[in-house]
Amino acid sequence: MERLHLEHVLQSVSALESIILRSFGPEGGQVLFTRDTGRVMLSRSGERILTALHLEHPLARMVVECVWKHSTITGDGSKTFVLLLASLLRMIRATAAKEPHMSRLHNSTAAAAEAATARHLADRLLEFALTELDGLIALNVLPHGSRVSLDDITAKTPPEPSFQTLLLSFFHTRLGNVHCEFFRDLMCELLSRWMGKTGQPSSSFRFIDNNFPALHTQVSGLPAVSSRLIEGHVIHRDFATPWPQQNRRPVKAVVFSGYLQPRLLAAGDVLELGGEESVTEDASVVRFSSWTERSLESVIATLQSFGVSVLLCALKQSSAALALAAQAGMGLVECVSDEEMSLFAQLSGVTPVPDSWAVHPEHIATLTFCKPLILGAHRYVHLDFQDAEERLKVKPCSLVICGPGEEQTDQYARAFQAAIRMLLTAWEPVDKTEISTLDVKETFISNKCTSLPTDAISGESACTSCSMHPHQKCVIEPGCVIPAGGTFEFLLHHALHQYDRSCSVSVSISAFVPVSHILANALLSVPRQIYSHNRKRFLQAQTRVMALAPQQSHILGARLRQTDGPPEDGKQSARSCRKDSAALTLLDLGLESVSCKYHLVLAVVQCLTSLLRVNKVLRTHTVLHTTSHKLLSARLESPEDVDKDESP
Amino acid sequence: MALNGDEEDFEWEPPTEAEMKVIQARRERQDKISKLMGDYLLKGYRMLGDSCEVCGTVLLQDRQQKNYCVSCQELDSDIDKDNPALNPQAALSQVREWQLAAQSPAATRVPELNGGQSSSSASSQAGVTVPQPRPEHCEGAAAGGRAALPPPAVASPPPPASAAAAAVAPIRPPVCPQASTRLPVLEEAEEAVLTKLRWATAQLESSASLEASIQLCSLISSCANSLRSLRELSQ
Repeated sequence: MERLHLEHVLQSVSALESIILRSFGPEGGQVLFTRDTGRVMLSRSGERILTALHLEHPLARMVVECVWKHSTITGDGSKTFVLLLASLLRMIRATAAKEPHMSRLHNSTAAAAEAATARHLADRLLEFALTELDGLIALNVLPHGSRVSLDDITAKTPPEPSFQTLLLSFFHTRLGNVHCEFFRDLMCELLSRWMGKTGQPSSSFRFIDNNFPALHTQVSGLPAVSSRLIEGHVIHRDFATPWPQQNRRPVKAVVFSGYLQPRLLAAGDVLELGGEESVTEDASVVRFSSWTERSLESVIATLQSFGVSVLLCALKQSSAALALAAQAGMGLVECVSDEEMSLFAQLSGVTPVPDSWAVHPEHIATLTFCKPLILGAHRYVHLDFQDAEERLKVKPCSLVICGPGEEQTDQYARAFQAAIRMLLTAWEPVDKTEISTLDVKETFISNKCTSLPTDAISGESACTSCSMHPHQKCVIEPGCVIPAGGTFEFLLHHALHQYDRSCSVSVSISAFVPVSHILANALLSVPRQIYSHNRKRFLQAQTRVMALAPQQSHILGARLRQTDGPPEDGKQSARSCRKDSAALTLLDLGLESVSCKYHLVLAVVQCLTSLLRVNKVLRTHTVLHTTSHKLLSARLESPEDVDKDESP
Repeated sequence: MALNGDEEDFEWEPPTEAEMKVIQARRERQDKISKLMGDYLLKGYRMLGDSCEVCGTVLLQDRQQKNYCVSCQELDSDIDKDNPALNPQAALSQVREWQLAAQSPAATRVPELNGGQSSSSASSQAGVTVPQPRPEHCEGAAAGGRAALPPPAVASPPPPASAAAAAVAPIRPPVCPQASTRLPVLEEAEEAVLTKLRWATAQLESSASLEASIQLCSLISSCANSLRSLRELSQ
C-alpha cells in the first residue's frame, strides 16, 4: 500500500501535459504513431494521442479516461482539459502549502496535511463551479459573444459571425488548413439535409451522432476531395445472392432479425424419431429435413406473393435459404449490423420480423431503388426510401469519406463525428437542475437515446431537458459563440477576480473562503500556451479583451439569483456591448462555443476533485482491466478511496 | 489571501530569497523531469504505477521490460549539485566563501599548494584552499573540470597575468575520499582523459576558427562525461 502525495499526482499529470503541449494551439505539431506492423497514424487530437500511450499508472489512466469521456460528449478540448487540470493542480498545491492550519487536524506529516488541504480546496472549487460559474459566464462572457443562427447554413457568404465560421475553425484546428473548407461545406450540406423543417436542431444533431457509424462510409485510397454525399442509405454489406437486374419499382423489402429457415434443432439436441417402427432411421431424418425445407419454401412463397424482392437479415442464413432466395430472384443481404438495422427501421417505418412464419404487410418497406454500389474496394447495398421526405421531413443521405490511407480516412471520420458532438453541446441548452447532480457526464450520457428513438426525428419534445422543467430558464443560451484565441479565458478570469473582490467585501454572507482566484489564475495558462510562440501577442490579446470587459461588476446580480433577473440584465448589456463585440474583431483563430467551454471547465474541476480524493493505491496481483480503451466504461479498481466504507 | 482571520495565518511569511531560489530550482527540475518523461512516453515507454525509491519519481519501463528512472539516470541529482566533491562550481563558491572569511593566509599558501597539487590527487583534501580563482578564468576552470596543474607550470609560481589555463588551478577535488579503493586502471584512464581535457582547453583558448572551437567543445564535454562515468565506476 502506498500513500499518495500531491507530488505523485502532479508528476503524472505534468508528464501528460508535456506530451500534449507539443500539439496544442494553432502552431502545434502533429504526433506520428507507428506500430510494429508498420501502420502509421498522424494525429493532433489530444484524445487520440493520450489513449495511444502505454500507461499503467492509475492516476494517469484516470485522467486519460476523464479526457476520453469528455471528448465523447463535447468532441473537442482534450488538450485544453489536460492543460487546465495541470495548472489547477499547481495552483492548489501552492495554496495548500501556505495554509498550515489544517495540520492541526491531522497530527501527521506535512505531506498528509497538504493533501488534506488540497482535497478540501478542490471540493470547495467544485461547489463553486456547480453553483456560481454558469451565472458568471452568462453575465460576463456571453455579452461579448453572439448567437449563431442555423437558418441558412449552406449560404456561401453568410453574415459574420456565422455557423460556417464555427465549423471552419473546428475543422481547422482538427485537420489543418488543407481540407478544412471542403469538409465544412460537406458538413453543412449534410446537416441541411438531415435537419427537419421543424423541431430543435439539437434533436437532429443527436440523431446524426447516435447513428453516425451507419450514416457514413469510409473509403481509403482516394483523395480527400472525393468525399461526397449520396442519396439514401448505404448498408455496409454485399448481396449474398446474385442480384437480378430489376427495373420494377418500387422495390419491396423485409427486414428479418432471425433466421429464414426455422431452426428447430440446435447443436447437441437429440431428435427422437418416433412413429412407424418399420421406417429406418435414415428415411426419418430425410423426411424431417425435407419437411423443414418445405416450410422454408412456403416462407419464400409468402414473400413472393407480397412482391418482396429484397431481404435484409441480421444473422447468417443457411445455404438452403440462400439457394431458395436466389432461385426466387430475391436479393438477400445477411449479417447487417444492429445500428444499420435500427436506422433502416426508423427511416422506413417498419419493424423487423422476428419470426419468419409471420410476415405481414406492415413489415414490408417500400424503397425507391435498391442496388449494389461500389465504393473503393468494396461493394455495398445502396437503397432509398420512397416517402421519407413527406413522412420524416428529412432527406436521408449518406456520407462517403475518402482519404489517402486508412488512418487518414479514420481521422476525417472522427473529425466529422467530433464536429457533430461539438454542435450538439453548443446547442444543448444548459439546464441548472441537471447540473445539480455531481456527475455531469453521466447525466449527459443518459440523455442520449441509444435505442430506437421514435421521437428523435419528429418535431415534438425534442429537447427533453427543457420540456421537463418549463419554468426553469436556461442560463446559457444555445448557439452562443465567442471569438477563439483565449477570449473566453480572459473574460472569465476578469469576472472571477471581480467576484473574488466582491466576496472579500461581503465576507459576512458566507463563512467559506472564495476559491475563485485559484480558477482565475489557472485559466490564464490556456491563452499563455496558445501564444507561447509569441509573448507579445499574448499581452496584446489580453489588453484588447480587457478593454472591452465592463468595469462594474454584474456579480451581485448573480449572487441573489432569481429566475428572470439575470437574463434581462444580460440582454441589456448585450445590446450595449453589441457594437463592442463588433469591435472585438474575429481573431484569426475563429469562433468557439461558450457551452463547450463551460462543460470543459466543469469537467476539469470534477476530474480534479476525484483525483485528489484518492488516498491510497492498492496493488493487486492480477490484471483487473484490459488495456483496450474501447472498454473504458469499466472503472479502474486499483485506486481506492479510503474515505469510503469498507466493502469487499 | 485567506480571509477567515485565523491566527495561524499570520505565521505564514513569504519565502526568503534563498528559499525562492531553491523553490525555483526545484520547479525547473520538475519541469525537466516532466518533459523527459513525456518524451519517453511518446517513444513507447510504459509509465508504471511504481515510483523510484531514491527520488520518488514515477518509473518508466522500456520495451525490454527494464525499469528506468528519469531523474536518477539522466538528470544530475538535486543534491549532488551542492557537493563540492563532484561539482567544480560548488567548489569554487566554497573557496570564495572561505577566502572571504580568511584573507591573509591564502596568499602565502599559494606556492606551497601549487607544488603540492602536482603530486598525487590523494593528498589534496576538500578542506585545502587553493590559489585565487580569477573571475575571468572561472568558466574556463569549470570547463577544465578536475584538471590538475600541468607539471611544467608548477615549477614557477604562476604569474597572475598569464592567460594560459595553466595559470589557474581550480580546486583539485578529491575524487574519492578513500584513495585506496580506486583501481589503478581507472586512475590511468582518468589521467589520460584529464590530459586530453587539458590539451583541449588549451587549444580552445588559442583557436580562432569556429569549426575547431565547436569540435573542441564537444571533445571537452565528452571528456567530462567519461570522467563522470569513471567516477561512478569507482564508487
